[in-house]
Amino acid sequence: MDVNTAVFALSWPGTPITGTLALQKERQLNRFLAEIERRALRIAEIGVRDRDEALDLVQDAMIKLARNYSERSDEEWTPLFYRILQNGVRDWHRRQAVRNRVMVWFGRKPSDDDDYDAIAAAPDPIGRAPDEELQNNEAMQSLETAVRELPTRQREAFMLRMFEGLDVAGTAVAMSCSEGSVKTHYSRALHALRERLEEHRPGEYGPMEGE
Amino acid sequence: MMNEQDETFAKKAKAAFDASVDELDAATLSRLNRGRHAALAELARPKHQWSRWMPATGVAAAVLVAVVLLQTSSVVNEVVGPASVTDMEILLGEDSIEMLEDLEFYSWIDVADMDSDVG
Repeated sequence: MDVNTAVFALSWPGTPITGTLALQKERQLNRFLAEIERRALRIAEIGVRDRDEALDLVQDAMIKLARNYSERSDEEWTPLFYRILQNGVRDWHRRQAVRNRVMVWFGRKPSDDDDYDAIAAAPDPIGRAPDEELQNNEAMQSLETAVRELPTRQREAFMLRMFEGLDVAGTAVAMSCSEGSVKTHYSRALHALRERLEEHRPGEYGPMEGE
Repeated sequence: MMNEQDETFAKKAKAAFDASVDELDAATLSRLNRGRHAALAELARPKHQWSRWMPATGVAAAVLVAVVLLQTSSVVNEVVGPASVTDMEILLGEDSIEMLEDLEFYSWIDVADMDSDVG
């Protein structure tokens, strides 16, 4: 395929990209997804509290990105991917809410999400991990619990800025809001988390020694 | 603007998160890998040709429906209109409810009257 044909193939809607360009695009996307997938999974998992559900959501987001936005430049992929993923997480919560209402209607107890106890649900690490890993697990468990209790938009802003490392502009694209809103949500989230975690776990999230 | 305490907290939070990412088990990583390859397979799949004609087709369909509705409504008004008014008069009037039992008969009288007016 010569360059002109390749460019035509790229620009004509509905035509699959073929040849060298297709290979190049596939490699780029593979690299991008491999780089982002693990953090995306943890972010989704904090959002829905279930690893299997989070895996499904991440896979859906990857497929939608490949299907709809593969022709965009790779700089746009990160905010677009997280926009798809955040929408998936919000849809998941809506479906859960409907499911719980239906369960209540039929006289059954809704899922155990309502009385979720992060401490009880935490895996027992005794005998399976060295001390340092245990401390990390506990610190992350506390952080996850606190992050989950944030309002949705604050939680999204915090995870995208802090965990994924998106800048303000990228976070605004991912959250479909203004950059000003991102700054506000992020700042509020940071202060709420700091207060809460310093109060409960001063050794782990409080000021470092000698500060 | 982040102060020093915020920055310290942010570093610790990021470190805890990164550690949790590094500890993902092999089964989870394998599922992520499979999901990624399923996504990459989408690149080879042709997008639906009809999708790019959808906006034009939608507008054309809406115009067609509007034209058909306008045409139909003018016909309906000519034939059904007076009968509908008559029906409402019957329902809202103070005449005996027994009259409703002979609704078809009264409709027939209406139509006959209209025919004689036209004739």
